[in-house]
Amino acid sequence: MSGSNGANSEKKEFVQYHFKHAIGGFFEFPTVNARKILPPHLHPVEPHHGQSVLSVMAFDFHKSMVGEYGELILSVLVMPRVAPGAPLPRSAFYPFLLGTTTKASRDHAIERWHLPHFMENIDLSFDAQKDKIEIAAAHGGKPIIDMSITQYDWETVSHRYQSFMHDPAGSYMSTIIMESAFSENEEERGEITVHDHAFTADIDRGNVNTTPFRELWMKEGLQTFHPLETLASAAV
Amino acid sequence: MATRISNTTPEESHLNDAAAANGGIADFDYSNFYYSSADDIFAIFDPYNEWWYGHARDNGYYLFSQPMSTPPRPRIELEEQLGHERLKLLNLASYNYLGLSYHPEVIDAAKNALDHYGLGAAGSPILSGTMEIHVQLEKELAKFKKKDAAMVFATGYSTNVGLIQALMRPGDWVIMDQNVHASIVDGAILSKANVRFFRHNRPDDLEKKLGGTTGKRLVIVEGVYSMDGDEARLPEIIEVAKRHGARTMIDEAHSTFLYGKDGRGVAEKYGLEDEIDIHVGTFSKALGGMGGFVAGSQALYNYLMGFARSRVFSCALSPAVAAGVLQALKIVQREPQLRDALWSNVAYMRGLLGEAGIDVGESTSQIIPIMIRNDRKIFGVAQSLQRAGLYLQPIIYPAVAKHRSRFRISISATHTTQQLDEAAAILSDVLQAEGLR
Repeated sequence: MSGSNGANSEKKEFVQYHFKHAIGGFFEFPTVNARKILPPHLHPVEPHHGQSVLSVMAFDFHKSMVGEYGELILSVLVMPRVAPGAPLPRSAFYPFLLGTTTKASRDHAIERWHLPHFMENIDLSFDAQKDKIEIAAAHGGKPIIDMSITQYDWETVSHRYQSFMHDPAGSYMSTIIMESAFSENEEERGEITVHDHAFTADIDRGNVNTTPFRELWMKEGLQTFHPLETLASAAV
Repeated sequence: MATRISNTTPEESHLNDAAAANGGIADFDYSNFYYSSADDIFAIFDPYNEWWYGHARDNGYYLFSQPMSTPPRPRIELEEQLGHERLKLLNLASYNYLGLSYHPEVIDAAKNALDHYGLGAAGSPILSGTMEIHVQLEKELAKFKKKDAAMVFATGYSTNVGLIQALMRPGDWVIMDQNVHASIVDGAILSKANVRFFRHNRPDDLEKKLGGTTGKRLVIVEGVYSMDGDEARLPEIIEVAKRHGARTMIDEAHSTFLYGKDGRGVAEKYGLEDEIDIHVGTFSKALGGMGGFVAGSQALYNYLMGFARSRVFSCALSPAVAAGVLQALKIVQREPQLRDALWSNVAYMRGLLGEAGIDVGESTSQIIPIMIRNDRKIFGVAQSLQRAGLYLQPIIYPAVAKHRSRFRISISATHTTQQLDEAAAILSDVLQAEGLR
């Protein structure tokens, strides 16, 4: 599968993934670290000068073309792409490492979306409580990341995001629509522990804030990927 | 073809309408238009203006920058920007804390200087723009602050930008409270020094952020923070900074002329004036003018004279404003009862708000946030307040964190207790009607 469709395709194919929970934490970390992770054509968003955003997201998919699986995503928030005629997204991400609980989901995401993966299955657990949800990611009995996210008011939303991908073959972008019950806050009540593990080797762990400045929790939702676009001008 | 910010394209007709409405144009704010990449600088204008004219302006952003036709007194008139109706409002939005912007002596001093010097200084302060009135103001400020010297800048913003840029260099460290004013952040960026932010008012996090730093280090805090109205935990923060050998700077924009027995600021209140290396203040708050100043050693003054680029490459403060500010400074020193009246009003208003069960956050100062904590509702509340006769500015994300939206009350010494009663009653009624208390 090429995984690359033109932006002006006559017939667009949307790929959908249904999830029980999708949770995310935005953590400030040094822009020096973000720059090392990002390809040269992508630029980080800075909530504070010198501080970029590490996004840690975890999905609990229960229905997809590759069945049920869990997914842990490490991303850097980057500047969205503005193009004539295209809707403006809420924000944009550069996922630099994903871990999944099944080989089928991993193979699918690599082939279809050019997403970089940790090449072994990980263990990912979700513990939804009254006011918060905790995830624990591990591999071979060794912890990778523990994160808790707290809830705020819930509303039903549809949010548009851009995801940028980059590999030796080229640079790509996909629009992603997230439809779900949604809770978001900046109450600084969540927490993360980033463990020493090959999965987290690209992160300067000592300089990642352990409290998320933004916490997101989506429930019973649908993630829709637009077809992959090849970014010819950014193929560096 | 123009870029759109509407949430769905025709190909996405499967999307739920209610969900699309929530995540669409109404969900955007200024932060969505700051960062973008495109092939054309102007590409962001289309979606920005679609948002502005299609949603933001008419749904509440018109409440910002409404032109006032009166001085910023407790009662003002302004032109509402949607219907262009002229409104008479009770004003709790201006930071004219001592009411000096319209004090007769201040106006007379400015008028006399206008007659004497003309409108502008017609030069940079380091060339031909320094006039006798500027020198008088700097000497009076230094005497008031009990420092060797004080340097006047044309604005408060340029004070912080010029000061920090002048002192710090690549490889140095600027370590500041995460809630400091944008001018401090911009000065640090311009200096190209390394920057770290410590969590608001957390000496333990400052300790952490100072760890591993070497060389020239400057720790920066404010006396009173402008969005929450809380004071710096100055004794603990200065202790940490000094123990690490860092220099310290305090911006007392909202506390100079108000705090301390003699009005020199929060540093005076805590007896730390000599412990702090650099003191910054503005003329636009308590003195009701404009401009800013740095107070410290003569050596600091001499160095800034040569290297504070925002001052070197700007025209000097208007001599008329300098004269008005100088007179306001004399009044502040001559009439400490103005500060007493302010603090009496602050206590009175705080009591009224407390009795009404209104959430005022962490404030301990003359800046009292009315916490709404609902980003969707705040503009509706602001419109209701204005219709009820009260002028307050909504403060929303990204100026404050998500769901920390609030109105910012600025108490003045010139408010009467009747006016504060009226304001508290309007707030109480509107918040109750909106289900927010």
